Amino acid sequence: MAGRLCVRVLLLAGLLLLSVSAPGQDDYPRLTGRVVDTADVLPADVEESLALRLAEHEAATSNQLVVATVPSLGGRDIESYANGLFRTWALGQKEHDNGVLLLVVPADRQVRIEVGYGLEGDLTDALSSRIIRNEILPRFRDGDLPAGIEAGVAAILAAIDGSYRPVDEDEASDYLPIVFIALWAGFFIFLIIRRRLRARHPNGARRWAAPVAGTRRFGRAGGMRRGGFRGGGGSSGGGGASGRW
Amino acid sequence: MPASASARYLSAVRVTAALTLVLLFLTGCGINAIPTLEERANAAWSEVLNQYQRRTDLVPNLVEVVKGFAAQEREVLTQVTEARSRVAQMQIPPDITSNPEAFRRFQENQQALGGALSRLIATVEAYPDLRSSENFLTLQAQLEGTENRIAVARRDYIEAVRAYNTELRTIPGRWWAAIFYPDAQPMQNFAIEEEAQAAPQVRF
Repeated sequence: MAGRLCVRVLLLAGLLLLSVSAPGQDDYPRLTGRVVDTADVLPADVEESLALRLAEHEAATSNQLVVATVPSLGGRDIESYANGLFRTWALGQKEHDNGVLLLVVPADRQVRIEVGYGLEGDLTDALSSRIIRNEILPRFRDGDLPAGIEAGVAAILAAIDGSYRPVDEDEASDYLPIVFIALWAGFFIFLIIRRRLRARHPNGARRWAAPVAGTRRFGRAGGMRRGGFRGGGGSSGGGGASGRW
Repeated sequence: MPASASARYLSAVRVTAALTLVLLFLTGCGINAIPTLEERANAAWSEVLNQYQRRTDLVPNLVEVVKGFAAQEREVLTQVTEARSRVAQMQIPPDITSNPEAFRRFQENQQALGGALSRLIATVEAYPDLRSSENFLTLQAQLEGTENRIAVARRDYIEAVRAYNTELRTIPGRWWAAIFYPDAQPMQNFAIEEEAQAAPQVRF
């Protein structure tokens, strides 16, 4: 009886694991840089100059604009794919949601500008649509994808330039609460231990002061600096525009 | 005397430590999960309302611009205007997310407006001058963007409500609800099939 129950629980746990891993978003490419050219339409020099330009823009404003080309949408419409990709990559800084994704799907002849919450006021749906219609699509229709993407990036950067200043590099606020709690907890533990020890060896308390200082290291984990490029934690609610050519 | 004072002090420290531990334990067991998830679902619902409102606000301008080029399409224009006024006049009770009747009515009215709008956009196909006017293109971009935001907001709401309802119905949450949150009620959700029907294609 107990054995059968155990088997059932194990089966259930296995099912749960399966259901958690099954609908994984593995059809999204990895965020390898500011230009993710998985459909391979950009020559290396264009890719490099674009990436440099985007990096300079982020350094000046903290806005994260990423250009992505993908070979296929996996049967979804470009709007929901772009939103899913944007949220998976978490473009834009967490406190501003100031990311933009320029997504090009050459095989389906579709393009979309997906705008993070924080830039919806600067890069409105109407403006995104105008950039696609006037800057990107004419060049795409001539078959010149790199030129269309460069023109689109230039127009987007012009629209969002000056909207934000760089995020404050001092990340103390990230781990301040943890340090605070850890210090308090450490203080109480210290008090209890000291009491105990005092009861046993009246002069033995000093050796135990160490844990309080040790709690500081705890907090550092929240303040990791990025090694490569990654999203800043921003999100998007579906703003922007799409186009076909 | 000093011995008893220090004993009292010690017991105060112990009580505080024990209380802290109990609090941490309860938090770890999810005593806060229900209110947290409820707030998240409420926020997602506000976003849904917000985006629908945005669409409602766009309609008069759109109707105006289309009238300028295609006044003879009276039937579809009237349909849009009527559907919009039904949406605008709709009373939204505060308990709408736990009131199936009000929730269904809200859905129906919004769907009627969505349907009328996509018919209007389809009608416009026949008017090349209108389709290429900058005014119309701008409004069309705004409408598309809004429809897309509505779709995203609905998806987020579905997910938030799913998490909240699951918490209410599954074990630790069910006990917490019975003891501490007796008024917590499952929220209404959009069905997935409706989801597929409700997103009108406003594209050419």
